[in-house]
Amino acid sequence: MAKVELLDADQAPLLARPNYRGGDPGPLVAALAQVPELLEVAIPFLNMVLGPSSIPARTKELVILRTSARLGCRFCVQTHTVVALDAGLSTDEVRALRDEAPIDPAFASPAERDLLAWVDGVAGPGDAGRTDPPAALADHEVVELTMLVGATMMLNRFCTALALPTSVGHLKRLAAEGLV
Amino acid sequence: MTSIAEAVANGVLPGRVWLYSNYRCNLACTYCLTESAPGVPNRALTVEDMVGIATEAAQLGFTDLGVTGGEPFLAATMPDTLARLSDVLPVVVLTNATLFVGPRLEPMRALAGRPIAVQTSLDSPEPEANDEYRGPDNFAKVVAAIPRLVELGIRVRIATTVEPGRLDEDAHARLCSLHRSLGVPDEDHLVRPVIRRGRATDSGMGQDFAPEQLPAELTVTADGAFWSPFGPTVRGGRLDTDLLITRTTRPLATAAGALLRLVQGRPPGTDATLAIR
Repeated sequence: MAKVELLDADQAPLLARPNYRGGDPGPLVAALAQVPELLEVAIPFLNMVLGPSSIPARTKELVILRTSARLGCRFCVQTHTVVALDAGLSTDEVRALRDEAPIDPAFASPAERDLLAWVDGVAGPGDAGRTDPPAALADHEVVELTMLVGATMMLNRFCTALALPTSVGHLKRLAAEGLV
Repeated sequence: MTSIAEAVANGVLPGRVWLYSNYRCNLACTYCLTESAPGVPNRALTVEDMVGIATEAAQLGFTDLGVTGGEPFLAATMPDTLARLSDVLPVVVLTNATLFVGPRLEPMRALAGRPIAVQTSLDSPEPEANDEYRGPDNFAKVVAAIPRLVELGIRVRIATTVEPGRLDEDAHARLCSLHRSLGVPDEDHLVRPVIRRGRATDSGMGQDFAPEQLPAELTVTADGAFWSPFGPTVRGGRLDTDLLITRTTRPLATAAGALLRLVQGRPPGTDATLAIR
């Protein structure tokens, strides 16, 4: 059970209502709706950082899922496992990102292995984040992916601290894939 | 001129800012929007917050203040607070008027001659009907208090809150005779419907409304800023958030800017260039 009330559509504050127009907006929005002025800037920010951009969806989900696994966020790992599968990642790749299997056998691409090593450094404790970014990345990609790791870490802490519940639909999908 | 001042001047935004001084009350009226009663969490604004918000409101271009609760005068400091608020903007304060006896009356003298109106409730010309809504002996206490306030030189307004059809023409006429006899002129008497929020919902009272039917009067409470004084209602001990605008109340410009954007249907962020955030 979440540590705060997740606001349903009937109690959605005025600034939050656009987020409810498509139905249940999910627990992240329903929690942020408690502070509407935060919600209305946080969601566009998160959509920009985590959503479609010049960096391929597969790459972004590698980063998000790996970071979430490193931070031990149950909600984010479960939710982004589904997103990662939808982005075309295999179950073996997902298991490796979730630290349930070694990385190297699951990822044949040296560039992706290099990326994941860098993510481990950026999301890791202390000064591990000083790891040099993959040489194949342009500066703007390094900036965007660094922001992606950071935003994911923020979400990891937020969702873990508030014990946000994974949606029933996602849990069913995870069960069907053997990835609960 | 700020964008808020312009919006107020053009009638886009109402000029009044409401302050919920507290939520506790010595009464427990059947239609109370906020489930106020003795012993409920008080959730009070501090005096300094109220004065600070009033000052910001004036700087932004709002023109009036309203103070409500709960019963504001449960705070012994309320007359002094109102005097300070009225140094900033004209004030109307809503009260059940049952506390203006003995030592609680004398401090009210400080409000005389100031731009302050004291608005109280009288829901029927008959004690039984009024007290059915507002509690035993309420009618007698209010009818006794109003002339005392008038005698001190304080402007008194009377609000009559009724169920549709409950105040017929004869009863209305008797009520008007009564308020005139108490020293309250016709222009200071208003009749309004019970709104189906808070305890009125559980009492099966009041009429439904759509948010857009409510004036967009910026309303500040200890819990945040709301669309209207009908916004920060309580039901089953739980604060309604459907008319919440922002949790941030200071700087007031944050809430006022969000309210203006909502009123104007503008996309988020467009007020940033208008220096009202």
